[in-house]
Amino acid sequence: MSGTPATAPPLRLVGVSVSYGARTALRKIDLSVRSGEFVALAGPNGSGKTTLLRTVLGFVTPSAGRVELFGDALESLSILERARRVAWLPQEESPRDDVRLIDYVLYGRYAFHGLLEGDSEEDYRLGHSILEQVGLADRADDGLLSISGGERQRAVLARALAQTTPLLLLDEPTSHLDIGHQLDLLARVRDLAHRRGVTVVAALHDLNLAARFADRIVVLSRGRCVADGPPAEILSEGLLAQVWGVVADLRREPRTGMPYLIAHHLTTAPRGPGSGTGFGPVHVVGGGGAAAPYLRTFADDGYSLSVGALHLLDTDAEVAEALLIRGPIEAPFAPLGPEVRERHRALLAAARAIVVAPFVVGPSNLANLEDLRPYVRTTPSFLVSRPSITERDFTGGRATQVYQQLREAGAREVTGMEEIVRELRALSSGPPTPSA
Amino acid sequence: MEERAPPAVGEATPSGAMRLRRSSPWALLGAIVAIVAVAVALSSLLGTVFIPPLTTLRLLFGLPNACAGTSVSPDLCTRWGEIIWQARLPEIVLAVIAGAALGISGATLQGTFRNPLADPFLLGISSGGTIGAAIVFDFHVGQVAPDLFLPLFAFIGAIATGVAILAVAVSRYGTVETLLLTGVALASLLSAVLALLLLYNPSGSQQVSYWLLGSLGNASWPVDGIALGVLLITGTLLSLFGRELNLMQLGGDVARSAGVDVRRVRIRLILLASLTTGVAVAFTGIIGFVGLVSPHVVRRIAGTDYRYVLPGSALVGAVFLLGARDFALLVYPTSLLPIGIFTAFFGAPFFIYLLFRRRVGSPMGSL
Amino acid sequence: MVPLTWLVVVILVVSGIGIASAAVYFATTASGTTSGNLTITDDLGHRVTLPYDPARVVVLGPNIMDSMYRLGLRSHVVGVDCYAPAFGGLSADYSPDQIALWNLSSSMCIQAEPTFDFEALLAATPQVVLAATFVPAAALQEITDTFHIPVVVLQPPTLSGIEIDVSLLARIFGVTAGANALNTQLATELYNATAVVANASSFPTVLVTYYVDSNGYWTFGPGTFGQSLIELAGGSSIAANATFEYPELSGEQVLVANPHYLVYATGFGLNESAYTSAPFWGQLSAVQSGNLTGMDSNWLTEADPTMILSGLPALLAFFHPSSLS
Repeated sequence: MSGTPATAPPLRLVGVSVSYGARTALRKIDLSVRSGEFVALAGPNGSGKTTLLRTVLGFVTPSAGRVELFGDALESLSILERARRVAWLPQEESPRDDVRLIDYVLYGRYAFHGLLEGDSEEDYRLGHSILEQVGLADRADDGLLSISGGERQRAVLARALAQTTPLLLLDEPTSHLDIGHQLDLLARVRDLAHRRGVTVVAALHDLNLAARFADRIVVLSRGRCVADGPPAEILSEGLLAQVWGVVADLRREPRTGMPYLIAHHLTTAPRGPGSGTGFGPVHVVGGGGAAAPYLRTFADDGYSLSVGALHLLDTDAEVAEALLIRGPIEAPFAPLGPEVRERHRALLAAARAIVVAPFVVGPSNLANLEDLRPYVRTTPSFLVSRPSITERDFTGGRATQVYQQLREAGAREVTGMEEIVRELRALSSGPPTPSA
Repeated sequence: MEERAPPAVGEATPSGAMRLRRSSPWALLGAIVAIVAVAVALSSLLGTVFIPPLTTLRLLFGLPNACAGTSVSPDLCTRWGEIIWQARLPEIVLAVIAGAALGISGATLQGTFRNPLADPFLLGISSGGTIGAAIVFDFHVGQVAPDLFLPLFAFIGAIATGVAILAVAVSRYGTVETLLLTGVALASLLSAVLALLLLYNPSGSQQVSYWLLGSLGNASWPVDGIALGVLLITGTLLSLFGRELNLMQLGGDVARSAGVDVRRVRIRLILLASLTTGVAVAFTGIIGFVGLVSPHVVRRIAGTDYRYVLPGSALVGAVFLLGARDFALLVYPTSLLPIGIFTAFFGAPFFIYLLFRRRVGSPMGSL
Repeated sequence: MVPLTWLVVVILVVSGIGIASAAVYFATTASGTTSGNLTITDDLGHRVTLPYDPARVVVLGPNIMDSMYRLGLRSHVVGVDCYAPAFGGLSADYSPDQIALWNLSSSMCIQAEPTFDFEALLAATPQVVLAATFVPAAALQEITDTFHIPVVVLQPPTLSGIEIDVSLLARIFGVTAGANALNTQLATELYNATAVVANASSFPTVLVTYYVDSNGYWTFGPGTFGQSLIELAGGSSIAANATFEYPELSGEQVLVANPHYLVYATGFGLNESAYTSAPFWGQLSAVQSGNLTGMDSNWLTEADPTMILSGLPALLAFFHPSSLS
């Protein structure tokens, strides 16, 4: 209708909306897939990925908009015609019968057989070659239930491939596979798209796998398309936080330059029992990774936090950034400058408690200790004493001196995490102390 | 070395099925006909009236001097011939036909509903047929041609129930679960109707209770001709749905994505299964377990490909029913007992045996 | 694959032809051709052609056997109905008295229930089959259609039908004298009963029960022979207005109705002890005062001369003892 099959896009959704009763599963989805493209559908559970696939297959009728397969409207195609254009790898296919693999694959040839035709020699050849394509050539005579889960997933793929359709839909094809089989399957699928020109649309829950293998990622959130483009362009920490509610770091894989995300935690920090519930700010002074455990624990416990002057690229700085904890940052390896120190002092003044992590003290961050001196008198302060200051003093004894001064000024020594957590809890549940 | 799960019960070692696949349909058909012929010949040796085996065979094959070697009058010999050809053989052939009908419709329903416990009476067809028969027994309908009206009413009763189920299947509530539940509910309702009917006129209740146990007594050559004709048509049509049934075992959605119009196929299968069961019920009454057990036996031997399971279940059903008849005659030589008793005696323990052979903990493996 | 298509076509065509020819055959033999020089109309209204005075007859029904014996036709009988031999056989259909009186043996057995044994029927080489209606009509039809043996159904719909059947047998076997004598006996007995009842001052309430269970008493309802017999004997059955033909009255109903006389059927394993477990048995005034008696169930249920010649007088004597003089 709108374009010959040769030039029309394999799949096109125009303003497609789908509702299940009162619940809207898809809202005005516009999507056009090019021939030979590998498109990944990503989104949290319930975002509409499966619904979209089922709509393309014709299992669900859209309440608005239209679906076009190779230029023809979906409703105008018979079930057989659809089967010749699009094949489906379902999320859950739990076969009960121990069918011989080659026969099972040939089930997929249904749409090409007349009423009384058996499987021809040609069909068997095709079946075997497809099994080879998915790496199951030597299992052709084995039963479906006698092969492993990973192999079975590939067998189901083989059956879908046996339909020899130009469009392939995969619904979470890696959900039951171990990591090796996940990579294997997706590599084969990408191969299909790039070398054999099969158009693939796959719902994938693993964003990193999607980024690695797909040409394009379409992100769905609550039934709407919120992003559509190549992985490098659309993957961002902001997207992950907005759509999945996850705080993550975006890295680039050094070998391929592909982006990948390392998720940390949910954006709404979980509240623990007897937690700080917003008590704070608790100010943590550290560096070189010493503050990191405390930052994480206090963040989990729900305290509001600030962090002492840190250097860029310092591990603690990265953790703090990931936890969205504010704090002054200095250039790497430079001694703490006056602006940074001024900002640090402001944070110290505002703090309701101060925790000094057992960081390695050198000339570049000695000021962190020195600047504490006026504040430990008025604000509850805790010095983590293990490892001891003498072991991490690289200022020729100066740090140890300041440490003693801090102790004399009222800072308390604590041995470790447990003690400090208790102290903070006691503080947070007691009468609110007026800030110094 | 990957762990291989042991095969679940009911599936073939692929090699067994492979051997079948290599043979042409003509060869398979020939094998089926041969097996049935042998079973029929052997069964003809058994009957309530004792006829020496050799004589029986000679009479069966129309050989001259059939009664040579026995001291019977020519008149009695003629009578023996008449017994074999007019009384015994028609019953045996009806057993073959009804067994095949029940077997293939049982396999069809097990495939359509993806339920290994489905049998031809799942959809309440037996209750419908019994009501039809009860009407004839109670109200003496159609006295002018009772051997026509009884099967006719039974058939109509059975089909009416099937049509009711079909109406549900066609509607938008036609999921597998709804169909099953509707069939069960319908069967219960019809049982109550039957009880009420018999209360009003108990004169038919004795015959109804015999009907519920099944018998081959209504057999005659015209009856066999009609039953065979209907079975050949419906059975052949059913056998054509092997591919569709194979795909439907993978799930309705998967089958649909592969090109099977599942809704339409399901409707046709239910219709054909109802007709096939109806024709058996019309002439033999209710015979249980044949339709339930035969598909399981076939699946163990020939795998789960419905292109083979359907005709295979017909064959196994025929042999099973014949075997039940023969067993009954061996154990009770001069009595003709309701054949449903013996199909249950064999079918139920065998079924339990199949159940126990299932792999423990296997998730719904095919039995 | 072309050969498979041909196979299917062949099968469908053959089936179609098969069905058509079977149906035609069915239709043409539906009338059932039998030969003979006598044509009569049986109790179902069927016109039957059969040989006159057949020497070999199969009797399916104790009621028919009764008439045959009384008419002196026992020697014509070569087979009688019975249940499956393994489960009672002859004794399931005939009481020991009947077996002894009529000189029946299990070699004459032709199984009629649960399924009809056509082989046994054929082995007996009968010329005519006399059948009651407990034999399924389809089986009787097959005897006529397939084996070309004439079947005469003798099942009196009412008490007066018993005489009609006796006359019918007379026509078939040429025993007019004997039939007339028998019918006169029957008429006398009926007349006698009518006379006694006409003079009776009252109709006692009665219950005639043929079976009991924990729920109540099974008895004869309106339209049954038992009910006719009770009426003729001058009794007023407490089930005379029941809804069903063979109703089961609950213990309460019987207790409330409190019949004056109680008759229970015996035979085929039933005797008085079988009835004592019925609800309220001990409280029924008929039981307490001893106004109860057992009676051969055959007298009450089989529509034959014995019912009138034995059953009727027995009931009459029981219900109106003073009238017997």
